[in-house]
Amino acid sequence: MSARRRILVVEDEPVVAMCLEDLLESLGYEPVGPASRLAEGLELARTEALDAAILDINLGGERSTAVAETLAARGVPFAFASGYGSPPEGMGDRSRLIGKPYREAEVAAMLERMLAG
Amino acid sequence: MPSRSPEDGRSGGVPATAPWPPGPDEFRAIADSAPVAVWVTQLDRRRSFVNRAYVEFLGVSYQEALDFDWREIIHPGDVARIVAESIAGETSLRGFELIGRYRRKDGAWRWLHSTSQPRWDTAGNHIGFIGVAHDITEAKEAELALREREAQLSAFINQSTAGFGQVDLEGRFTLVNDRFCAIAGWSRAELLGRTMQSITHPDDLVRNVPLFERAVRDGTPYTHEKRYIRKDGGIVWVNNSVSVMRRPDGEPFGVLAVTLDITNRRISEQALRQSEETLRLAIEGAGMATWELDLATMEGAWSPNRFDLLGMPREPGLRGTVEQWFARIRPEDRERVRITTQRCFEAGEPYAIEYRIRRADTGEERWLQSHGVRIDYGDDRPSRFVGVSFDVTERKRAEEELRASEARFRTIFEQTNDFLVTTTLDQRLTSVNPAVLAALGYTEDEVIGHSIAEFMEPDHFVRSRAALEQKLREGGSTRLTVTVHAKDGSELIWETNSHLVYDESGNPIGLHAIGRDMTEAKRAESHLRLLIDELNHRVKNTLAIVQGIAQQTFKGGSDPVAARRAFEGRLAALSEAHNLLTRELWAPVPMSRIIGDAVAPHGGGAGRFVIEGPDLILAPKTAISLALAIHELATNAVKHGALSQPQGHVAIRWERIDARGGPRLHLTWSEHGGPPVAPPSRRGFGTRMIERGLSAELGGSVKIDFVPEGLVCTVDAPLPEVPE
Repeated sequence: MSARRRILVVEDEPVVAMCLEDLLESLGYEPVGPASRLAEGLELARTEALDAAILDINLGGERSTAVAETLAARGVPFAFASGYGSPPEGMGDRSRLIGKPYREAEVAAMLERMLAG
Repeated sequence: MPSRSPEDGRSGGVPATAPWPPGPDEFRAIADSAPVAVWVTQLDRRRSFVNRAYVEFLGVSYQEALDFDWREIIHPGDVARIVAESIAGETSLRGFELIGRYRRKDGAWRWLHSTSQPRWDTAGNHIGFIGVAHDITEAKEAELALREREAQLSAFINQSTAGFGQVDLEGRFTLVNDRFCAIAGWSRAELLGRTMQSITHPDDLVRNVPLFERAVRDGTPYTHEKRYIRKDGGIVWVNNSVSVMRRPDGEPFGVLAVTLDITNRRISEQALRQSEETLRLAIEGAGMATWELDLATMEGAWSPNRFDLLGMPREPGLRGTVEQWFARIRPEDRERVRITTQRCFEAGEPYAIEYRIRRADTGEERWLQSHGVRIDYGDDRPSRFVGVSFDVTERKRAEEELRASEARFRTIFEQTNDFLVTTTLDQRLTSVNPAVLAALGYTEDEVIGHSIAEFMEPDHFVRSRAALEQKLREGGSTRLTVTVHAKDGSELIWETNSHLVYDESGNPIGLHAIGRDMTEAKRAESHLRLLIDELNHRVKNTLAIVQGIAQQTFKGGSDPVAARRAFEGRLAALSEAHNLLTRELWAPVPMSRIIGDAVAPHGGGAGRFVIEGPDLILAPKTAISLALAIHELATNAVKHGALSQPQGHVAIRWERIDARGGPRLHLTWSEHGGPPVAPPSRRGFGTRMIERGLSAELGGSVKIDFVPEGLVCTVDAPLPEVPE
């Protein structure tokens, strides 16, 4: 099982997070988390061994920007997930944005791109 | 006189070898400082020196001034005389003076008074002249003016139609002009031997003597009409204006009468009355009514149309009284009219007034305008008050309508909440209504005359300028939304509509603009934008949840019918939670409501649930997770647990525990009276939803124990701070 790539999930909606976890598992990844709060997300981003991350921009009123910065510092690729809008200022362009609700094909393609790059 | 004789030069102690000038430099300095023109000529008449004033008068160079032919600048009217006098003067070898007009460099004619003196050398030989010229223009003009006045005065006295007769304090004639002699009918010689009393008609002396004596005594001037008896016995009527003559020390020495012959006037009284009648007809034809009031009796002649004007029947004698007139004046105006007439009666002030009357016949109110004067006779005849009145009702009404219309517009201008602004074509403010001042916090002085650019975003002013140019090109009006700066620095958003104003010949002369404050509307619009964004976010989020629920519910291998029912139940729970949040406008909601609503579809109203706990408040997102979790628990209880049995029930209890690190929520779901419980072979969506989803949401632990007597779910989580 250790061969599976570890993907951090930061998503504050439990049902959605569960759904994303199932999706990742079905794609052959190992989900890490899910973190539903900023502090929790930061902790995981700092301590866990990670290959990539999917970050919901809005975390119950907080923004996941800090998690992204921590990951960027570690060289872990990440994508933002949002129902609308664009990535936070200075956090990449729309090419690193996953639309919500999650679609399996989109998540798969994004992860492949991130892990290949 | 700045001219110096040769004697002066010699007596000045100057060495005999150079008696004159004392030294070229010294002489030049003296001459140049003089405000008069100075020149020195040789025997051949050539000038060897001119001073600064001389040069400045001509406005040429020094050398040109030496050679200048001054005859060129003499006034044509004076040139022949001056040249002749000059030649005579030079030939005489004496000092001579010339007075005449010369043209200054600026073209003005100046009166110059020049004095020339012959120059002699030490041997006594004539060597030329030295001359000095004063500008006497002002003095000459004053003299000419005086002479002119004198001529006019003497002409007036000698040729005027007025006679001048001066007598001493006893009445003896001392000075008479030709005209007085002609009027009085006596020669000058005859008059100078007589008194004015002796040629005055005896009947008039009775009035004349007291007036004369008072004038001599007090200096009181008087005007009166009286008769002289001519040498031929004829009678002449005169109007005399009489004043006392005084010596410089103030002592009276005589009395002067300025005498007008009014015999003709008196003789032609009949003719005059006829012409007066003509005038009266003309006046009445123009709608003017006339009156004459004898101030002694307070009654007099009225023109027929004065009766008409007041709505009164024409009296047979065409006479009326002050009382009759006053009775027609509206009571509100009566006092004003009384005061004005009184001033005229007593002080002789001209009478001009507008007042309202009520017509005697119809009772209709009319406006009259009246002009009158007091006529005094300077004798014992009583003064009269005469004048004209005309009806100005129509004009007054038009005026009042205009005033009312103006007032209406002014009211609109002053009281509307819209902003009304007028500017010049270069967009300087010419008027603003109070709403503008109130909105911007400026006083009128701080905006009138200023450019609108001072109160606007620079790029908005550019747009406003462009809009103006468009209007100048195409006419019509333009709409703009501009940001305006108030005095306190706040920004207001105004929507303006402006159009050009044209003068009578169709040239644009300014701008009228009406503006409306859209600040609140724009704020509301941006707030709405925020709300729509938020709604968009929530809808997307909800769809993500629905997607998740669907994905979990329809996992491979599940029974399609049961899965659909489960899906519907979950959607219903989600929907119920949303309903609650929507009702509460997505504000924090009480926990009992969330739980109560979540169990309601599962027999919540039939006493199958015990719900107990303090009224804790949950954030909207937490409420949705809790509602979904309770739904899963209730669904499971109905299907497999306590609620599958008629006597089974569920107790949901929670409390707030104040622990170290903040308050905590402790909640238990316990089932009673159901069939024996066995742990499920695999954990489905519901269980995962509860254990993982809720614990993640709450940031605490959620545990499900499959106790045989009944399922127990325990929640232990920090009680989230809910923003109010």
